[in-house]
Amino acid sequence: MKDLQMAWRNLWRNRRRTIITAASVFFAIFFALVMRSFQLGAYDRMFKNIIESYSGYLQLQQKDYFEEPSIDNSFVVSPEMLEAFSADKNVDILVPRLESFALVAAESRTQGAIVMGVDPEKETRVSDMSSRLIRYRLTEQAVAGLHKESLPEKTKNALDVFLNESFSGPGRLMIDLGIADEDSAEIMPVLRKHAGFANSYFDNNDTSKVLIGNALSEYLKVGIGDTLVLVGQGYHGTSAAGIYVIKGIVKLPAPDIDNKVVYMTIDDARQLYGAPDMATSVVLALHDTEEKSVLNTADRLKNILPEDEVFRNWKELNALLINQMDADNKSGMIMIGILYLVIAFGVFGTVLMMLAERTREFGMLVSIGMQKTKLARVVTLELLFVGFLGIIAGVIASLPVVFYGNIHPIRFTGELGKMYEDYGFDPIMPTMLPDNYYLWQVFVVLLILIIAVVFSTRKILRINVTNSLRA
Amino acid sequence: MKVIEITDVYKIYNSSEIKVNAVNGVSLDFEEAEFAAIVGPSGSGKTTLLNLLGGLDLPTSGKILIDGTDLSLLKSSQLIDFRMRNIGFVFQAYNLIPVLTARENIEFIMNLQKMSKASREERSFELLKAVGLDDRAGSRPSKLSGGQQQRIAVARALASKPRFVLADEPTANLDSKSASTLLEIMEKLNHEEKITFIFSTHDPRVVKMAHRIITLEDGKVVSDVRTE
Repeated sequence: MKDLQMAWRNLWRNRRRTIITAASVFFAIFFALVMRSFQLGAYDRMFKNIIESYSGYLQLQQKDYFEEPSIDNSFVVSPEMLEAFSADKNVDILVPRLESFALVAAESRTQGAIVMGVDPEKETRVSDMSSRLIRYRLTEQAVAGLHKESLPEKTKNALDVFLNESFSGPGRLMIDLGIADEDSAEIMPVLRKHAGFANSYFDNNDTSKVLIGNALSEYLKVGIGDTLVLVGQGYHGTSAAGIYVIKGIVKLPAPDIDNKVVYMTIDDARQLYGAPDMATSVVLALHDTEEKSVLNTADRLKNILPEDEVFRNWKELNALLINQMDADNKSGMIMIGILYLVIAFGVFGTVLMMLAERTREFGMLVSIGMQKTKLARVVTLELLFVGFLGIIAGVIASLPVVFYGNIHPIRFTGELGKMYEDYGFDPIMPTMLPDNYYLWQVFVVLLILIIAVVFSTRKILRINVTNSLRA
Repeated sequence: MKVIEITDVYKIYNSSEIKVNAVNGVSLDFEEAEFAAIVGPSGSGKTTLLNLLGGLDLPTSGKILIDGTDLSLLKSSQLIDFRMRNIGFVFQAYNLIPVLTARENIEFIMNLQKMSKASREERSFELLKAVGLDDRAGSRPSKLSGGQQQRIAVARALASKPRFVLADEPTANLDSKSASTLLEIMEKLNHEEKITFIFSTHDPRVVKMAHRIITLEDGKVVSDVRTE
């Protein structure tokens, strides 16, 4: 009889214990993988949102701007410098921005705002701004109208959940309202009729016209065509004031920016702040955004950098977010650690029970001539079988959840959603598709198993035959 | 021909307060094909002596030679190997391997000895027939009665044709009919296979069938009588 065959049979002699042990490993790995995939997926989405809608992967700034983000620390953008940077193989385009603060006032409300002077055409290539324009808004009036239409019950129920929500495109709207692809041709025209939102992007000729964040528009209670007054401090203490008409409303995935951003053309911003030819940053849109490649690009361009300017990469630009994520990540790791600790105790409990239960059998086997090393090998195989059973089942069971969660992320609505937004987080939590973190979880469970194997092997090698036979 | 030679063997257990002389200066020889019973009251040292004979325990002093090999000179793994090749064990509680069938239990030691499949099968069926259980070859221990399990245990002990078989109270858990059947089988195999059987027992039926009766008291041999 082969060791493998004997181990397999031993495994099933106490079916219930084997199933409970395998189940404990299964649940540990399943929950750890799903928890980790949501956590990493949320971080990934947050990073992508903030980087792709705001900071970019690499920015050129005046050297003091990072510590003191004031318009006084802006710099002159020369065409020669832009041309030199553009020559680099990893640089796609260069997008200058003039960013400052202002009080923005509508008819009845005022709010502190970030004013972003941008080149609309280039900006949309970096931050995909034009696709973020609001296309649908489920106002009370729109929802009331839709309830009168012939729509699936599931969609009608979802309408109340997403009341007052705005959508930049049909994709998210269809997922949230539970509209299947095959029904979209029929339902989308009805939705457009009641909830469609007229909106348009701007260009460099749109003088005195602005785009504003969706959350800011809701706070100020303004819509397309309404007027905003901006008052602030300009370059070197000059006063800055202007009247602007809202041309579009964009929904940004970073709530902390969505509730305070006003976009205008960079020429308008330069005029508002009295800073001709100036920029507070130039975002470098890169072909390859891998961390190493970003750093290499910055290194290459350092040689042709003017004395007063420096590069800031996405890590430096989002240091606060990274710290927040680190803290959150650690708490997640502690949770998973506790989970594994419970499982480790479970596995050790099983091993101890098994060793105690089979002491006499082990004594008998050694007395009739089975070497202790061979016996330890059989028991090791039993433990590995049960462990792998749990690991493989856990990994397989997690895959549909992780893939589904990636396509259909959890969306927090109501108070919980608002709470997320208050903390500056996007209330959407997708999963991260299987990656290295899968290997890590499997590795940790294997480590627990290896410790259990070492423990059982040590016990078996130290068996006293006469004492064991008396057990 | 001497199979076992025991010379002035002592086994002393030192617990924290009391020193126990479990085997107290025993000297004995066992010849080939003997059918011997070691008797004596509880605590007289029967099981300890059997453990020493089987190399499961080592003497505090004295010498045990099996076919001329001094067990105390063997390393732990050599001792296990030696037991596998030379000694058969029959335990009071049968101690069959629960996940193996009757035939697989008998073949287990031959498997450890890496015997060929054909030889294993031939020997296991020969023994199954000898113990009258050839129709239960595929049954697991849980499907066999106590008497049947002990018969399989005897077959397992004989599978590798050992020099001798040690049986510790083999009939203690059996009813009288099963015990008689088992003893008849062991006596028959003792004759046919020329293998020495040494029992530790309280059972008068075993004592009645034994050809040699060794009585122990307080770890000492107080009588050694041959009945034939």
